[in-house]
Amino acid sequence: MNLLQEITFLLKKEFTLEWRQKYAISGIFLYVLSTVFIIFISFQKISPQLWNVLFWIVMLFASINAVVKSFVQESGNRQLYYYQLANPLAILLSKMLYNAMLLLLIGVLTFVALSFIAGSPVEDAYNFAMALFFGSVGFSITFTFVSAIAAKADNNSTLMAILSFPVVIPVLLLLVNLSAHSIGLLGGTQVSRDIMMLLAVDLVLLALGMVLFPFLWRD
Amino acid sequence: MKNAWWKIIGVLLIIYSLIVGLLTPLRTGISDASPTSFKTGETIEINVQGYNSFYTKSSNELRAWLKMDSVNALTANNIEVLDDRNLSLTFILPAYLPTSHKVQDFTLIVDSPKDGAAILPGGIFVTQDSIDVASGDSLWVNAEITNLHEKETINFPYRNILYETIRNLYYHVPLWFAMFILFITAMVKSIFYLRSFNPVHDQKAAAFTSVGILYGILGLVTGAIWAKNTWGAYWSWDVKQNMTAVGMLIYAAYFVLRASFEDPEKRARISAVYNIFAFATLIPLLYVVPKLTDSLHPGAGGNIAFGSQDLDNTMRMVFYPAIIGWALFGTWLATLVFKITSLKERWLDQQDGF
Amino acid sequence: MLKATKKAFTTFTLLLLPFTLLLAQEETDFMRSMGKMYVVVAVIVAIFIGIVIYLVTLDRKISKLEDQIIEND
Repeated sequence: MNLLQEITFLLKKEFTLEWRQKYAISGIFLYVLSTVFIIFISFQKISPQLWNVLFWIVMLFASINAVVKSFVQESGNRQLYYYQLANPLAILLSKMLYNAMLLLLIGVLTFVALSFIAGSPVEDAYNFAMALFFGSVGFSITFTFVSAIAAKADNNSTLMAILSFPVVIPVLLLLVNLSAHSIGLLGGTQVSRDIMMLLAVDLVLLALGMVLFPFLWRD
Repeated sequence: MKNAWWKIIGVLLIIYSLIVGLLTPLRTGISDASPTSFKTGETIEINVQGYNSFYTKSSNELRAWLKMDSVNALTANNIEVLDDRNLSLTFILPAYLPTSHKVQDFTLIVDSPKDGAAILPGGIFVTQDSIDVASGDSLWVNAEITNLHEKETINFPYRNILYETIRNLYYHVPLWFAMFILFITAMVKSIFYLRSFNPVHDQKAAAFTSVGILYGILGLVTGAIWAKNTWGAYWSWDVKQNMTAVGMLIYAAYFVLRASFEDPEKRARISAVYNIFAFATLIPLLYVVPKLTDSLHPGAGGNIAFGSQDLDNTMRMVFYPAIIGWALFGTWLATLVFKITSLKERWLDQQDGF
Repeated sequence: MLKATKKAFTTFTLLLLPFTLLLAQEETDFMRSMGKMYVVVAVIVAIFIGIVIYLVTLDRKISKLEDQIIEND
């Protein structure tokens, strides 16, 4: 079985598992909706600037909650089973791919929910979509990798938060900047450069993750 | 003492940076000029307060200009030396200026053969009642600025707002550079560990990281002191400050991660992986992100700190040795931290022996 | 050894105390006098204190471990 086949196979497995235990994904969606509702009742009136920051904060926390389970919540036995069956790279990439799609979905949901209660200040839809896309990919890469690290430790869900927040801040800052551009809070013509930067950061983290993951996986 | 030469060099370099960095005087400057706004067509008198100046020693050879742009400058009609620190300059302003701006800023330049030239950039403002560029051109008596003197003895540049704190370049900034060198070393040691699985490499990586954190905290504290007295607040929400705080969080998380493993082999392997990954996220933190937004630090948003032309050769001669000195000193500290871990291991071995 | 470092450290802090009091009293004016030279002094002192505290804790740990090892021998 080559790498691509393995990845598609594992991806299929992720979807099947998700479909069987719907509570996990519906839990995340409920989390997003209730957070947005809390934001609504505590702020009432939301300025574009606030909208921008709140969007990414909701996105950040929902993402962490969604990704934690990718390695952390899998039992040791199942990991052992994978270990015997599959190429570690295929496991990592399939999880990252799956998480990226999940996070993109969460991002869209957050956007819809926030726009529903506070209106959408987005002026440049293309840029915002780019930010959302590369943001989801970046979050997925970092969180999946950190989740793999945290899964090796004992008190892992706390560790997940401690390890991933500082690591994700550079990506988050780029994202807030980029979506501020698309909302019209920031002028300037550096948008394409920002997107390239985001892409570069994503690629570097992805490459490092792929190189380092085999070291995590063995034992 | 055979292997101690680099420790000695490190300490000597730090001492060198302390002595030379503190004893070298600043170039002369203009710390204040008053009043600062005038109208055209007047004979004006500006009281200049000098910094590190010795006006009485060269009172006859003093020259002063009001510089409008790279071509036009006005020379002082009379220079009266009050004392070493104070001058009174008289200028005759023409009725019209050769510019289409209503309010034009002028740079004040005072030159003396003893102290060298002193500059107050854009500090004097002249308002014209009506704008007439043509008659401004004809009325203008241009005085070319030539033969500016340089102070003969070794000196550091003078900057308003910064004053003597420009010397912090040798004490605050090298800490950051040394911190980065230590983190890089730690990352390289982590790579070594993953290639050889020799636990010594991992222990060294942890030692270098902890000294790096010490330098980072010291850098933040000294930066806060400096910022309070030049920018006005301890924490200015400057991008680089925030980023370094985040860097500290990342490496603090590294130690939390280390603490959460019982098995030394597993701890070493996984924390080495995290160290490499965390370092990669730190690179955009410190060098990419600050360029995106305005920063008070050099190289962004046109601030008066040290741009490339500001870090002159004299400063380099202290700045670079200071970086090397602090990096070597940090390595020394790291060997001490490493010694603790190896002693602990020896002690544990002894316990097992009984 | 341990006592000596402790003693040295307390004397050092006691020596610095008047300086810090002075800083607290007339912070801005004092710090800004003499071309802000005291900012440089404060920075150097901060670095010095940080390094000394770090070295003292390291020294304590090392000597404690050395004592334990010698006891066991």
